[in-house]
Amino acid sequence: MDSLVTMCDVSKIYGEGETAVTALSGASLDVRPGEVLLLQGPSGSGKTTLISILGLLLRPTAGQVWIDGRDAAALPEKALPDIRAKMFGFIFQGFNLFPALTAMENVAIAIRVKDPKARDPEKLARELLASVGLADRMHYHPANLSGGQKQRVAIARALGGAPPVIIGDEPTAALDTKTALAVMELLSSLAKERGRSVVVVTHDPRLERYADRVIRVEDGQIASAAALAA
Amino acid sequence: MWTLARKILLHDRVKFAVASAGVSISVLLVLVQIGLYFGFMQNASNLIDHSRADLWVTGEGSENFDFSAPLDERIYYRVLETPGVAAAERMILAFGQFRQAEGGTQGVQVVGLEKRPVLGGPWNVVAGDTGRTAEVDGIVVDQTEFGKLKIERLDERREISGARAKVVGLTKGIRSFTTSPFVFTNLDTARTYTRMEKDQINYVLVKAQPGVPLATIKARLDTIPHVAAYTTAEMSERTRAYWSSRTGVGAGFFTTAIMGIIVGLVVVGQILYNGTLEHVKEYGTLKAMGAKNRLVVGVILLQAMISAAVGFVVGGGLSFLSRAAMRGANLIVALSPQLLAATAVLTACMCGAAALLSVLKVLRLDPATVFKG
Repeated sequence: MDSLVTMCDVSKIYGEGETAVTALSGASLDVRPGEVLLLQGPSGSGKTTLISILGLLLRPTAGQVWIDGRDAAALPEKALPDIRAKMFGFIFQGFNLFPALTAMENVAIAIRVKDPKARDPEKLARELLASVGLADRMHYHPANLSGGQKQRVAIARALGGAPPVIIGDEPTAALDTKTALAVMELLSSLAKERGRSVVVVTHDPRLERYADRVIRVEDGQIASAAALAA
Repeated sequence: MWTLARKILLHDRVKFAVASAGVSISVLLVLVQIGLYFGFMQNASNLIDHSRADLWVTGEGSENFDFSAPLDERIYYRVLETPGVAAAERMILAFGQFRQAEGGTQGVQVVGLEKRPVLGGPWNVVAGDTGRTAEVDGIVVDQTEFGKLKIERLDERREISGARAKVVGLTKGIRSFTTSPFVFTNLDTARTYTRMEKDQINYVLVKAQPGVPLATIKARLDTIPHVAAYTTAEMSERTRAYWSSRTGVGAGFFTTAIMGIIVGLVVVGQILYNGTLEHVKEYGTLKAMGAKNRLVVGVILLQAMISAAVGFVVGGGLSFLSRAAMRGANLIVALSPQLLAATAVLTACMCGAAALLSVLKVLRLDPATVFKG
């Protein structure tokens, strides 16, 4: 199966000389269409660095990140926003929703950012919010939504522009167990029903049941990769 | 982008109100201070600006319109016979003492004119007959100076420097820069009021013959010993420049205006920067999603421009109210369309500059920071 993103022998070193810290060393990873990929590992193991490089938010010190037959790590900085807009949606532990905007507006702004020529972004936003079960909360501001609802808005926002890869950094960490599992269920169904790849960093072993593969990151290296039965 | 900028700005209404108030105060200070300055400058040169003369002849080296050295009257005749001069009129501008009804005195600027002046004289006449200044004791004064002169109507009689004076005409809005009221009269009476010698004058006003370049006539007049000739525009500019620069009036008003701009810069800059820090995660998220720098910067600048627009409208409105209030104190706040337009541009630039720190913040914002906590 062709990979959407392939990271080859990627390293990341922060700082220089005696203060240099190796966050990632020789990591290789591919993201396949329609799979749920969990990244697990202790704090400071390099998970966040890994997904930051995967999502073209951070340049590796060495190695390649292949997308659409191009090594994105070698492209100039100004080329990256367009690739990010086309390829990735992001979900965060802290939601990162604009408090001044309603749920619908938060999603619509993402659609506009990703595709300035999009016709009727508000309509698309309403459809996305309905698809994550928030049809009746579209005009609510984040302050008036529960944690689970906020994360659903963030998921709908990540789906704006229909990117093939959704990257989540501890998307369930701020949620209670029931809500966390519901959010993961939603992400899993996105992968299965819409063919999106979902890459999630988590500490929570209970989420493994939704994963197609689990990758353990330790000391900046990929320690193990396990394919799980569907 | 517009919706995002507007909603971010209006989300915290108290902060928005403070930012708008900062801009409003800034606009108010700039408009009122510069308006007052232009009002004073209008007064400084209004006799010149309202004249129908093409050229003004005065003593060589005379810098101050209101305190010019006397000229020998023979110069008037030299001017009259200069080729290219169609007409010339004499003018006296000197100080006298106006005795009030109850015995006090008020310094006045006596303007002595020909008996049938064409090139200079009072305007905005609201009562009486300015032609009667040809009478021995006929004077024209301005209504807005009634308080200083302690007179209330036409035909009142007073004394100026011990000589009789009768109010034969009233004008409205002719005020001097020196704050001493203008008193228009004929040349002979002016000499009496100002104790000037009978063969002395201060200015010769010149009308050029049609088709003769002013520069040519000016050059010819400059050959007359001990005098200098200026076009009306030059004379006006010299007078304004004198009062503005030599007295520090300009520096005073402009310093206050600049302080207003600084107040606006600091207030708006601080509010915008705080707002940017509060939303830095969201801006980072936009960049992570693929938003280019110009979009994020545009959101910040739009917030600055919204603050500028609201502040300008409120500050402008307050300035017009201030102008109306100051009119009661006989102060002119000259709010010209040009001043309003310039202040609008200045306000936009001020708010744009105030947004600079915020713009730098989002330009340097690394989208990877969105994954850090």
